[in-house]
Amino acid sequence: MPSSKLVLAGSVLFASSLAAGVLPKIDLPKDSPVAVLSADYKDSNETARGGAMLLDLHAALSLRNSSQRRIRGITLLVTAQDVTPGGRGSVTVTSLDVGPDETFPVRIDLRLLRPLQASLTVPVQIGLDGVLFGDLSFYGPDKLSSRRTMTLSEYEARRDRKYFKSLLAEGGPERLRQEMLASLTHQEDRPGMDVQVVKGARATNFEPEKQVQFAFLRLPDAPIEPVDGMARIAGNEARAPRVEVRNRSDRAIKYLELGWILQDRGGREFLAGSVPAELNLAPGQNSQILENTTLKFPQPRGAQPLAIDSMTGFISSVEYADGTVWIPSRADLGTPQLQRVVAPSDEEQRLAQIYRKKGLAALVAELNRF
Amino acid sequence: MTHPSEIQLALLAGGDLALWERWRVRRHVAHCGQCEGTLEALRMSSNQVRELAAELPKDLNWNRLAEEMTGNIRVGLAAGQAIASFDKPPAVRRPRLAWNAGTVLACASILFAFAFWANIPRPQAEHLVQALKRIAAHGIGNFAQPGLRQEDVILEASTSGIEVKENGRALSLMHPHSDGATVTVNMQGSAGVRFIDADTGQVTTNKVYYAEQ
Repeated sequence: MPSSKLVLAGSVLFASSLAAGVLPKIDLPKDSPVAVLSADYKDSNETARGGAMLLDLHAALSLRNSSQRRIRGITLLVTAQDVTPGGRGSVTVTSLDVGPDETFPVRIDLRLLRPLQASLTVPVQIGLDGVLFGDLSFYGPDKLSSRRTMTLSEYEARRDRKYFKSLLAEGGPERLRQEMLASLTHQEDRPGMDVQVVKGARATNFEPEKQVQFAFLRLPDAPIEPVDGMARIAGNEARAPRVEVRNRSDRAIKYLELGWILQDRGGREFLAGSVPAELNLAPGQNSQILENTTLKFPQPRGAQPLAIDSMTGFISSVEYADGTVWIPSRADLGTPQLQRVVAPSDEEQRLAQIYRKKGLAALVAELNRF
Repeated sequence: MTHPSEIQLALLAGGDLALWERWRVRRHVAHCGQCEGTLEALRMSSNQVRELAAELPKDLNWNRLAEEMTGNIRVGLAAGQAIASFDKPPAVRRPRLAWNAGTVLACASILFAFAFWANIPRPQAEHLVQALKRIAAHGIGNFAQPGLRQEDVILEASTSGIEVKENGRALSLMHPHSDGATVTVNMQGSAGVRFIDADTGQVTTNKVYYAEQ
């Protein structure tokens, strides 16, 4: 469809049950590489719940790539300054391949719980934090470090596309099918855990707290070597990790992430999260990572409360000073412990979904597209 | 006419009056309507008490009950003496005796603490130490309300959605039409859920952050 017709179709629709004053304000920069064609708020509503108002907002945005480059990812910033001034949200879509003038959808489903007496000004603002292009260039204020997040995702996508293409070339569609089935099984079996993140180093439960040493999973090609580390554990809480690392590469490093695997007393393992660090680490140099944050794992319904017993760390990503990144290889991720707990990449999950919903032929066509 | 005393009538009603007295009082009651009425009332009361007594537990230890009552009486007497001596000038204290009592008390406390520490299981002992440390750090008032301070900003991620909560207000990002949700957490202060949008097939990651990030 020609872009002029798309612009004409870009009227903003909203549900009659929602007052225009509570609709989000979409604010993109004038030179933004994406433009909003339409925003549909069907099924959105606001209802009184006790002494509060619950805004249930379902936004289906249609965006157009108004740049001359292919878009690989986009991050939208969602804020509700009057409701939660201490927090904000974002919606990121990765593994895209949107050419110039092409359109793509972004869905935002949010709920806002605010007091009845809250101001009647627009409660939600939607802005642009960044756009990643196919040549790995970036546009946007990058307040949420979305450049790094989307670049890492793009590196993983390229690694996994290359891997699946090589399987297809070597073993044909049947080999690809086997790998997809294994990937879907892995996604189903991977243990998941709800989590709360609280800033501050104070334990919040009555369990006795103990200092636990990290065990490290050493990936042979990682440019960073974890030397020593510990964190404080109390029942279902883990907090204040402290890790010493050494740059064993010949390049300066400005960012790294340590994956944090927890094991409970029953032997269950799950990926708790990542410990990131912004640093300036010259080759051969050591540095210490400190985080003053607490992770709390609520008791799953019908299950025993979690009692953390031990933990393992591994280097999950590194960004060099020149902006290039290191990520674990497919062979690294094949390590039994990592295979059990680490989620597949965005791209692998997307490709597996194409196989599951559209079949092997559609997957092969998708791999051959770029 | 001299009426028998109420005590004599009560003893007669209970069958505890001596033989001669019983004959004398019965003779009077036979001719005195007033005393007959009092005696009848006392008999009824006596019967009621007997019925109540019959309802008491069979294994009631009367000796122990008597000892307890005696003990209570002694406590009452001691309290009375204490009140009586309230206005009297205080007795001259003997410092040496007080010091000795203090030493004995301290030794007993140490012995008790040692025995307590040696006998409680290790996790409870660690728990106790942590609790005492928290009291020392935050005071008893704060300790009575463990958990999160109200002003804390909390990020929550579950497979059903993510949320940033602050002072009873909340912003949640949901994913009602999704497959394969994966929770991600960053210790710098973000929590997220990655999923495949079932309608568009796109990989979408919703995250919540602390505002300073």
